Amino acid sequence: MAAPEPTENRESLQGTLSVVRPASPVEAVKFETFIKITADGSVTAYNGHVDLGTGIRTALGQIVAEELDVSFARVVIVLGDTALVPNQGATIASETIQITTVPLRKAAAQARQFLVARAAERLEHAVEDLAIEDGLIRGKDNRSVSYGELIAGETIQLELADDVPLKSADAYTIVGQSVPRVDLPAKATGELVYVHDMRVPGMLHGRVVRPPYAGVDVGDFIGNSLIAVDETSVRDIPGLVAVVRIGDFVGVVAEREENAIKAAAQLKVSWKPVPTLPDLKDIETALRANPSVPRTLIDKGNVDAAIAGAAKPMPRTYIWPYQMHASIGPSCAVADYQDDNTRVWSGTQNPHHLRTELARLIHRREAEIEVIRLEAAGCYGRNCADDVSADAVLLSRAVGRPVRVQLTREQEHAWEPKGTAQLMDVNGGLNADGSVAGYDFATRYPSNGAPTLALLLTGAIPHTPAIFEMGDRTAIPPYDYDNLRVVAHDMPPIVRASWLRGVSALPNTFAHESFIDECASEAGVDPIEYRLRYLKDPRAIDLVNAVAERAGWRPRPVREEKQADGDVVRGRGFAYALYVHSKFPGYGAAWSAWIADVAVNKATGDVSVTRVIAGQDSGLMINPDGVRHQIHGNVIQSTSRALMEEVSFDRTSVTAREWGAYPIIKFPEVPDIDVLMQPRPDQPPLGVGESASVPSAAAIANAIYDATGVRFRELPFTPERILRGLHGEQQSAVEALPAPSPQPPLPSRIWQSPSARRTGAYATAAALCAAVVGIGAAVLPWRAIPPIARPDASVYSQATIARGQQLAALGDCAVCHTSVNGILNAGGRPLPTPFGTIYSTNITPDVDTGIGAWSYPAFERAMREGIHRDGRHLYPAFPYTHFAKTTDADMQALYAYLMAQPAVRAETPSNTLAFPFNLRPLMAGWNALFHTPSAFQPDPTKSEIWNRGAYLVEGLGHCSACHSPRNALGAEMANAHLAGGFAEGWEAPALTSLSRAPIPWNEDELYAYLRTGESRFHGVAAGPMAPVVKELAALPNSDIRAMAVYLASFNDTAIDKPAQQVLAARLEAATGTRTSAASSVGARLYQGACAVCHEVGGAPLFGSRPSLALNSNLHSSVPDNLIQVILHGIAKPAATDLGYMPAFRDSLTDSQIAELAAYLRRQFAPDKPAWTDIHAVVNRIRQE
Amino acid sequence: MTQSTMRLTVNGNAYDVEAAPDTALLYVLRNDLALNGPKYGCGLGECGACAVLIDGVAARSCVIPIEGCAGREIVTLEGLGSRERPDPVQHAFIREQAAQCGYCLNGMIITTKALLLRSPHPSEAEVLEALRHHLCRCGAHIEIMRAAMRAAGHVVEAQA
Repeated sequence: MAAPEPTENRESLQGTLSVVRPASPVEAVKFETFIKITADGSVTAYNGHVDLGTGIRTALGQIVAEELDVSFARVVIVLGDTALVPNQGATIASETIQITTVPLRKAAAQARQFLVARAAERLEHAVEDLAIEDGLIRGKDNRSVSYGELIAGETIQLELADDVPLKSADAYTIVGQSVPRVDLPAKATGELVYVHDMRVPGMLHGRVVRPPYAGVDVGDFIGNSLIAVDETSVRDIPGLVAVVRIGDFVGVVAEREENAIKAAAQLKVSWKPVPTLPDLKDIETALRANPSVPRTLIDKGNVDAAIAGAAKPMPRTYIWPYQMHASIGPSCAVADYQDDNTRVWSGTQNPHHLRTELARLIHRREAEIEVIRLEAAGCYGRNCADDVSADAVLLSRAVGRPVRVQLTREQEHAWEPKGTAQLMDVNGGLNADGSVAGYDFATRYPSNGAPTLALLLTGAIPHTPAIFEMGDRTAIPPYDYDNLRVVAHDMPPIVRASWLRGVSALPNTFAHESFIDECASEAGVDPIEYRLRYLKDPRAIDLVNAVAERAGWRPRPVREEKQADGDVVRGRGFAYALYVHSKFPGYGAAWSAWIADVAVNKATGDVSVTRVIAGQDSGLMINPDGVRHQIHGNVIQSTSRALMEEVSFDRTSVTAREWGAYPIIKFPEVPDIDVLMQPRPDQPPLGVGESASVPSAAAIANAIYDATGVRFRELPFTPERILRGLHGEQQSAVEALPAPSPQPPLPSRIWQSPSARRTGAYATAAALCAAVVGIGAAVLPWRAIPPIARPDASVYSQATIARGQQLAALGDCAVCHTSVNGILNAGGRPLPTPFGTIYSTNITPDVDTGIGAWSYPAFERAMREGIHRDGRHLYPAFPYTHFAKTTDADMQALYAYLMAQPAVRAETPSNTLAFPFNLRPLMAGWNALFHTPSAFQPDPTKSEIWNRGAYLVEGLGHCSACHSPRNALGAEMANAHLAGGFAEGWEAPALTSLSRAPIPWNEDELYAYLRTGESRFHGVAAGPMAPVVKELAALPNSDIRAMAVYLASFNDTAIDKPAQQVLAARLEAATGTRTSAASSVGARLYQGACAVCHEVGGAPLFGSRPSLALNSNLHSSVPDNLIQVILHGIAKPAATDLGYMPAFRDSLTDSQIAELAAYLRRQFAPDKPAWTDIHAVVNRIRQE
Repeated sequence: MTQSTMRLTVNGNAYDVEAAPDTALLYVLRNDLALNGPKYGCGLGECGACAVLIDGVAARSCVIPIEGCAGREIVTLEGLGSRERPDPVQHAFIREQAAQCGYCLNGMIITTKALLLRSPHPSEAEVLEALRHHLCRCGAHIEIMRAAMRAAGHVVEAQA
């Protein structure tokens, strides 16, 4: 089969044979084509369904090639372009092969029949005497004529006939073979153009900004919650083309994608408050409270009487959670709006329906819109593919150019129409002989099929909830119960919900197959034998027996208590289903039966599905390998859904917006799968994919029951649910935790600053305050030092300037004196302090706005005494208390360097300090209390290198400015030198043996950290420390070593490297396995979001792999740094070798971050007490 | 952040790219260099769809700004091989039909390649561990594992 590209213009100069049928009046054309054969012998086949990643394109090619008697390679399949393919409805319910292919197959047969008849005439043979090989018709006399020659220059159009004889299955040579998929070579080499890869000339990039009612689409607030969009908030984004607002629809368009991303994140949009949702943590209550319309699907026998007379009544309720499609690629589309010819490249599963929706959105006729379906990430139902197509059309129309819109992961997770939650009530019971007395089944399925979002957001359609009758799939059990009633309670959605693979058949089957398993147990009959008593369909019976035999099923009338292997018990469960899909009463697809083996850890609650024997009767299999792969895929996906998938909500919206909050199965969790495919080449082909998923949840639940003796009637089977069940619903996993052990008291290791002169003179903040005001009032303003002409830097040697540059780096001048994305040293960076915000000043040699008019004495006075050239006091956010220690030679070199830099004109914004801190003269009093303007004095009792380190650390390096606590007046507390402080919302941990790091710092690790930004035993520099390390790169190794020597002298608990390694290995091993004490939400967030880069022993990735067990921040007494780094990531590491960490602020909620932080603390710092009030800290840091 | 010119070495060629230094490598590869192999999946480094090789090590290009890539060798799926001349890893994936929608395939192949570069004969456990943080929603895991094991030189038995 040739590459799947449309070949529309090829036939213009030659004849064609087409098989067509009349098109609907909305189309621009009169006929829709199924098959077109051109005179060069090429075959194009058109199908209204699309390939959702299942390989349907390949199977269709096989069917056409077979029926037409041409080689597979000759056939091109065109799918999903509304201008080219027949309208055959949405690609749903696994019905492409079973239903949609039927006319295509007939069209191929009809074309062959026509050509053979013509050949018979041409070759003067009877039709029966002709043989066909790859489109060449040969008579007995060996004369031949090809399809192309028979068509020649003619244009032949056949109207599709219904009564065409089809080839019999025993003559098949292409159908039934495992032909390799045609799309995979291009996919494996990056050559296939997915919708995400579509580029058209002049294309712009769009992003949408969705309302805060994320994932909700009913209610009178839909479409009218927007208050305002502040376009000035994105004025600085380069290449921004437009901000678009229509009702609650908001989007941005930019020339470059990354700038569209920035604009969407930065755009200030205000919304009305969001109404409260029902509590979806309690699905049962929410669904019972939702209004519904009962629809009786079957009522046979006398159910009420039968159940009233049952010897053992068995009322049961089964609950299915909200689940996601969770496609790996968030939806994407490109639109090129033209009034009468709009083209949309889309990953939709229903191009024609989408075209109808778009026509409604932009008030154009359907014939003026073409939807071109390109491959997308796997689609398992109604995801956001249509929504994003409409978004792209709106943005393209607004800017008059083609626009590509990519939804974010967060948007796809939050807004995709969910596979809905479902509630199944069974009122049933057993007769005294163990037979089923009656089965009264009621199912609640809240969905409206999810209208295209842009229609709702723009107000193009009303927000009144519609009801979709989709709760009835496989609602009638496959068992021949004498007394049977099934009622579907159709109901409007609670949150945005639509069809997801298996639709309501998965939940309904979970109930049917769990219930009959319970009946078998109660009756003391083997569960398979019990089912066979009620199963009348011979193909079902064959399949069940075949699967039982394949698995070596041992009949078990009574459940046996299992031998535990440590904490693990094993069990085996069975379930069967015939997937009945489409509008009730619907069609049956393939028959499916599962035997699942599970292992349940009774201590942790972990369930693993170790093996699945999946049997299926699919009728004729067009491509057996394709069928096998579909069965694999559905077994794996539905196992994932049963074990771990559940959408989380708060009271306003969906909160699961990335893969930590909505985990899906990972490689190590995938079961072994043994596929048994019943050979039925003589039976019609059936939909194969979804069928294999339908028995999943019940088979697993029945296996868990076999292992543990406990029935689980609600999904997913998470560790916390299993533990609750094993503990008789009483204890939750979290409640079962032992209380954290109290922290042992820390030995007192308060260090005195070696350079401090005063200690403990003033005991309280009140006393200090009074003193400052008193002294301050008495001190006169300082004199101004006259301005000078900008000094000529050429008087300084290059060596001096270079030395000055190093010193500037040591002093981190540029870190504070450069604003975000601003010009080096031009100031303007806001420095938040407890007393208000101070803006750093311009220290370039600009005469008017910088320090160009400063003489050296003025500079030196500022550095040593904190006095501006004009006599004003500077605030000690400028660390002159440290800079004062600088030697004269170094001070001059620094001056020389600064004066040699380019002058930049930049006014400094005014500080915003609260009274009395806005009164600069008071700083004189502050200085009198806290400042000693004398140069560094070496300690003769210490080594030269120690003294060098002391000079660097205590002087220009000003480490203690952040790493010492400050008193109420913002002065470093001299009696707690380097004992840890706070800066810019980050904790600056203790640099002494007060450090809470699990492995004490020693000289080598301090050196490694300051030199590279990373210590194996502590972590990487982040937050305000990352730029410090980056600046220190200017210093020679000898200076870094000296700093390490000096700082190490405060760490008398340090241990040597071998001891560090032993301790590290012990800590990592001890925290490497999840304990039963772990918070499950936090554990899942960690596994999904963090473990890829942080799990010890994980596969290498670009960048460092900081070990959380050793990370200082996790062992600190406060969670601030951990939360800072989770919220904001590490965008500017100290060195690029360290790699980067993404920010999670837009992906995780405050509650999720709090859960994650609590988990990380408990898991990786188990000897430390739990942090308290983490949620409030997250909230505070997010606001900062 | 203002635009600036940055030189990137991708699949053996040098490119001067006009973009802000904090632009994620993924967007530059896709939009400036028209390389479609790496895909946007989550933007958080969680799913692996965007994987590339940087200096021979697997990297998640959605979270690495181009300023971190200066002076490094970047290789994308396209740089491994083509339909006509596939890399042995690509060949193994095609041979085992190891994809359904194929959106995650880029990451699976790149990471398998990275694994083989550092460990030419990995065990099954190593392959599982290497692929642990690559998500596949279609459920092609079994075929992907077979492909990775085939690429690693293991004998892969035919399926019944």
